[in-house]
Formats: sequence, C-alpha cells, structure tokens
Amino acid sequence: MTQIRKFFPYLISVLAAFVVVGILLWVLGFNPLKAYQTILFTSFRTPNGFIQTLLKWIPLTLTALAFTVPLSSGKFNIGAEGQMLVGAIGAAAVGILFKDLPPALLLPLVILAGMLAGAFWGLIAAWLLYQFNINEILSTVLLNFISFALVDFVATGPWRDPAAGHPTTVPIGAGGFLPMLVKNPPLHSGIILAIIVAVAVYFFTSKTTSGYELVVTGANPRASKVHGINIRKMFLFSLVIGAAVAGLAGVIEVAGTHHRLIEGLHSNFPTLGLIIGLMARGKNQAVPFVAFFISILEVGGSAMQRTIMVPVQIVLIAEALILIFILLSDIIKRRQK
Amino acid sequence: MEQENVLLMQQVNKTFDKVIALSNVNFELKPKEILGLLGGNGAGKTTLMNILYGLYRADSGKVILKGQPVTILSPRDAIRHGIGMVHQHFLQINNYTVLENIILGSRVSRPLTANYSVEEAAIKELCERFGLEIDLSARVETLPMGTRQKVEILKALYRGVSILILDEPTTNLIPQEVDSLFETLKIMVREGLSIVFITHKLREVLSICDRITVLREGKNVISLTRKDASDEMLVRAMVGDKMDLEKSVMFTSREGTGAVSASQDVLHLEGVSMIDQQKIQELTDISFSIGSGEIFGVAGVAGNGQRELAEVVMGIQPVTSGKISFNDQEITTLNTKDRIAEGFVYVPEDRLADGFLNKASVAHNLILGYHNLEPYSRKGIINWKNVNESSRKMISEYNIKTTGPDEIGGNLSGGNIQRVMIARAFSQPSRLMIAHNPTRGLDIPSMDFVYQKLLEHASTGAGTLLISEDLDELLLISNRIAVMYRGKVVGILPREKFEKYEIGRLMSGYEQESK
Repeated sequence: MTQIRKFFPYLISVLAAFVVVGILLWVLGFNPLKAYQTILFTSFRTPNGFIQTLLKWIPLTLTALAFTVPLSSGKFNIGAEGQMLVGAIGAAAVGILFKDLPPALLLPLVILAGMLAGAFWGLIAAWLLYQFNINEILSTVLLNFISFALVDFVATGPWRDPAAGHPTTVPIGAGGFLPMLVKNPPLHSGIILAIIVAVAVYFFTSKTTSGYELVVTGANPRASKVHGINIRKMFLFSLVIGAAVAGLAGVIEVAGTHHRLIEGLHSNFPTLGLIIGLMARGKNQAVPFVAFFISILEVGGSAMQRTIMVPVQIVLIAEALILIFILLSDIIKRRQK
Repeated sequence: MEQENVLLMQQVNKTFDKVIALSNVNFELKPKEILGLLGGNGAGKTTLMNILYGLYRADSGKVILKGQPVTILSPRDAIRHGIGMVHQHFLQINNYTVLENIILGSRVSRPLTANYSVEEAAIKELCERFGLEIDLSARVETLPMGTRQKVEILKALYRGVSILILDEPTTNLIPQEVDSLFETLKIMVREGLSIVFITHKLREVLSICDRITVLREGKNVISLTRKDASDEMLVRAMVGDKMDLEKSVMFTSREGTGAVSASQDVLHLEGVSMIDQQKIQELTDISFSIGSGEIFGVAGVAGNGQRELAEVVMGIQPVTSGKISFNDQEITTLNTKDRIAEGFVYVPEDRLADGFLNKASVAHNLILGYHNLEPYSRKGIINWKNVNESSRKMISEYNIKTTGPDEIGGNLSGGNIQRVMIARAFSQPSRLMIAHNPTRGLDIPSMDFVYQKLLEHASTGAGTLLISEDLDELLLISNRIAVMYRGKVVGILPREKFEKYEIGRLMSGYEQESK
C-alpha cells in the first residue's frame, strides 16, 4: 500500500504530461492516441525495437549514474558530457595505438583507458574543489567545452579518417570491439557492463561503510565532519567515481556502437542522463528503471517521426513536462504537511 | 469573592500534524499578578502563549480579555489588545541603537527628519518609571544579555502593553541579571501590569510568582497560589507519576560528588589557543585537566568560546598553539576519526547543524561515527540487520518517538532528535565525553535520565567535559566548574566553592575588566 502511494505522484506526473502533450498534438493536427501508441509500444512490438531500447538504456543509465553518484555526497556533476567524450577519446586512442593486440588484451585496455580518462576529467574539477574550493558545477560545465575541442582535435588530426565527411577517426583494432550478444538485430555486450555498474553502485552506496560515509556526507556534511568523516575526500572520491562511470559510457559508444571516435557521439545522452537523475530524485537504485522508461520514449519518439511525421521534439517536451510535474508534486506534498 | 481576571483562555486545543500540543487547556490571569506558567519541554507552555500572542492559531477555544471575547490573528492584534511577549531569542537588529530598536515598526512623530527626540523623552520616562537603566544610544550588539532583554521589555512597554509574556526569560542570564530582572518584574506589577512567566525552573517560580499554573503534555495539571504550593507538589505535577523521584538526580540531594581521587588525568590542555579561519582569536591560553571519573563543567554566557573549545578537543578545528594530551599521550594533531577510535564522544550543541542528519534515516543517525565498528559493520560491509536491531533497542531505551529505524530523521521533533544524539553518545563505551547543552529541548524525566547516564558514565572512570549554559545543570552534577569569558578560562571552582553569584561574576567578565 505504501509502495503504491509512493509511486502515485510519478504516475500522475506521467499522465499529466501526456495529457498536455496530447492537447499540443491535437492542436497541431495529429492524432494523439496514435502517437502515444507508437511512443509506448514500438519498443515491444519488434525485436529490433526492443534492442534499440536496450542500446539507448546503456548510455542513459551510465550518464545518469555519473550525475547521481556525486549527488549522493551532495555534489553536482554537470560534466558527464565532457567525461563521456574524454572517456571515448581514451578508448579510441588505446584502440588505435595498439590495434594489433589480441581481444583478451586490447578490450580490457580500451575499457580501462576510457574509464581512467573519464575519471581524470572528473578529477580536474574534483581537485579544484578539494584544493581551492572552486564550485564543481562551474568547473564541470566549463570542462565540457574543452572536451568538445579535444574531440575535434583528435578526430581531425593524425587519426582522421580521410574517407569520412564528418570529423571521425579511423576504426580501433578489432580486438577492442565489444563482443556481440545478439547478431541480428545487433546487441553488444556493453549492456552487461552497464548492469554490473548499476548493481555495484547500489551495493556500494547501501551496503558498505564507505558508501554510508558518502550518503551521510550528502545528508549533512557538517555533522559528518564532526563525527570523523573526511568530507572533502568524499566529495573528491564521488566526483571521480561518477566521472569514471561517464567515461565508461564513452567507451561503450566507441567499442560497442561506432568502433571509432565520431564527433557528436554523445548525442543527447548526458542531458537526458541529468533529467533521469533528477526524476529518480538522485536515488541510484531508481536510475536504471527511470532510464528504461526514458529509453522507451526515445525509441518510440523516433519511430513516431518516421511513421506519422510527428516531430521527435515532442518526446523531449513530454520528458521535460514529466520532470516538471514530478517537481511540482514535491511542492504539493510539502503543502499538505 | 476572588479578584476578577484580566484574561481568560478557555478550552484551547491545538494539534501539529498528528501531535496533540494542547488539549482543552484553560488559563486565567489576574490583574497585577506574576503568574508562573510551569512545565517541562513539550508541555505546551510556549504553544499556549504563542496562541495568545497571535503567532499560532488555536484549532478551537476562546480568549476573553477583560470580559470581552477577542480574536487575535497576529502579534499586531495582540499588541493592539495590550498583550506583549518577550521571546527566548531576541528579535533585535544588532547594529541599531537601543532607541532605534525600540521604535522600529512603530509610528514616529517626525518621520521625515529622523529626529526622535519626542520618542526618546517618552522612553526615558518609561525607564525612570520602571527603574530600567539603559543607555538609549548604545548599539544593542555591545550590550550584555540581561540588558538586551530589558530592551525587549522596554519595547513592549513602549507599545503600551498591560499584559507581558516572558518566555523562559532567565535562560541566558547570569544570577545577578536574574535578580535584576525580578526587581523589574515586581515594579511592573506594582505599576499595574500583569505578567506571565514561562519557565521550567521550580525555584524561580517559587521565588517570584504570585500564582502558578502547571501544564504537562498539553493539559492543565494544577493552578494554585504560591502560599499553597510546595516543592514536592509542583515536581509531581510537572513530571507525572511515571518518574521515580527516589532515583532522580534532580530532586534528591546528592552527597559525595566533591573532589575525585585525581589519580590520573584523562584529558589535559596546556596553553591552548585557537585563531579561526576568519583570523578571529577564539580561544586564548586555555589550560586545565580532567581527572578520571570527573565531570568537569564549563560555564559561560553563550558565545564565549565554549563551542570552539569542544571542537578543539574533538579535533574538528586545529589548535594554533598549545598542547592537548589524552591519558598522557599527546594528541594535539590527531584527527577526529582517530579521537573517536580512542574513545572520544561528542554531543554537539547545535544539533541540526552538527549532530543530526535530517535527510537520512534514524538508523543512519544512530550509527554515525561508529559505523566502522562491529557489530554495525565488518570489513567495510554494513550489517543492516545488526544496525536495525540495536537501533530498535536504542529507540525503546531512550524513548525516541519514531515509527522505526527507517524513518527519515527530518520527521522527528527537536526533543527526539536530542534523544537520538544522547542514545548515540551512550551507545559505545567511551573514555571522554564532551557534552554541550546535552539536555536542551528535553522534558524533565528525560533530563534526569541524561544526568543519571552522565553520572553512571563518569563512575566507570571516564572523564566528562560538560559545557552548559544552564548553570543549575552544572551545579547539580559537576565536580568542578570552569568559567569561560571571551575565549579564556577566567576561573575554576571546586565543588565545595560553588557559589552562584561568584560564577555569575566571572561569567560577566567582571574580574577581567577590573584588572
């Protein structure tokens, strides 16, 4: 019963958002019911639709966790974008430099390099916070811009693929490709990595003493410090872990999806990751489920554009509205007290 | 025929969420009397008076003022009806003068020129009439607590109130200031005012009040004149039948809490000074030792370095110079975590900022600082089964009102948050307890329980640094009392030399100034 009551505001928020979007669609001259049907059921109608959904779920879950893990300690990582891109650069660099290594060596190296590169990008902001008390929101956002330039530099530099019209590197060695789980439609094993990360984050924050320290630091840093917890270390640590997870999202795009570094491979995942993290109210264990829901909307949205010519942006409007209604439900709950 | 009343409150009910704060409370105030409104924390005294002053609205009930039913919706209404209130925390603008603070928010005769000579004359007359000696041109932040309180009283008098409510007015005062306050109250009554004196201190009620009304758990218990009242009767009325007075620390005289056989020093401070990050000298050359089994009290007006002393001892703030040793080992640079591992326990004063996690569960709160110890965790993995089990034990032993270990801390009331902190502090064997205002917000049986625990803890040979703004608390259970003034220890008195006025004199910095 209490479980149902907990979910009630979310359900209402989703419904309300759909009603508003429905009115919008109707005014624009589309059939809202048909649009919803496409949005909600594309993922489950065909194997391809389902696998598309899973492929979206991977980076969405990881970039959302990159936001919520630091948030557990009270820090805002707005830099998943940059960390994902630098992670992708790291993965691509190792994959290209050592392209002749066998899979047993190259794949772990690619993964490790990407995560370390992402972690390093987060460490810059974390260190600035630790040493000089520089606000992490500003530094992580600003580092995003540098990462765009870095991707451009790498993708148009010596590793450039001359055959491509878009800034792109040459492919990484085949040993660095993530093995396929399903051949047709294609599903790579990045999903296993994402599941492992999601479970590990859950285990860490709810079952370990370090995770406890992270959570209580977020709940009240001053009281945590008074009770012997090194909170500055917690801030640093959580930002770096979050950044490494974002880096892994970049790795999977390179080693699983594109097999090379492409400018813009981050798509809108980090932005959606933020929205997912907020919808999950920063709860790490809720992130995978919210991410799955958003993946369904995303896949359904592109299908809707193809089949009934409704612009895909409608889905983004729906997602934003859901978030706004969830935040509104918080205010209503507070008023009721 | 009894004297007619000036104020009647009838059948007042008030609930907060699901908590019943007042149920069918009746209240009567007679002309020219000082009425003591007595009760422990959570008894509903302040709630009742806040309703009268228009800060809260009653769910039901009537207010009859001089025979006329009135509705009071705001403090402005209350003042218009001649009811004023002096809160525990003064509502003053620190860098304004006394005069400016008094006339703030009232109509002035010459608003365009900021020439307040008319108002000044009126206030001076009030000062004379009520025997209040205050320099009207002084900025309030430079004044001692007792004087600031008189400014607050003057504010009410200037607005022409005939009923004045004082909420725990003696809390931050030294004994000399309390005497002076009582003098003022007597003059005010003589001049025709009626006064409600909210307090939980028995002695004050018996020494100043004409009549006494006791509330407990939001209900009327008794109302009687001072002549008819006895200590024992009032104690019983305040605490109810549940409390065992024989075992109580507060209501039985205790012997043998004099000097402890100072065989060994647990804690030793030598010339400790601390300059904080804002470059303010918070502590200056503090030296003392706490013996094994000793409760070492620290008295002082709030904000004279007590909190900084506690934080330096806990290793939360580094010392600038000086040495701290624990059981003859120097620990000056040891961090907080390691001090906790050595057996330091801290009950901070500011519970919401320093002691409690509003956004985490009760269980999270109860293990804070000890989460690395068995049985709470092993090899870095928390055993939530054990945590929940001992949380439930603590919840029942310390009478914490909560739905269970999983409830979010923010749902708890102030008194229950204090109980969580006390439960946590006593949940582990410790060798040095640093307790800062450990009974703030607790009702009387709980206060007594904390005293029993502190004494029991001291009897195990541990040292205790008890910092408190409640002088009675210190006099009750300390072996020695040090007095702090402006970051210095200005005197240390052994139990046989405890004397309230002497401590008050030290607290006001008299000795320092005269040197």
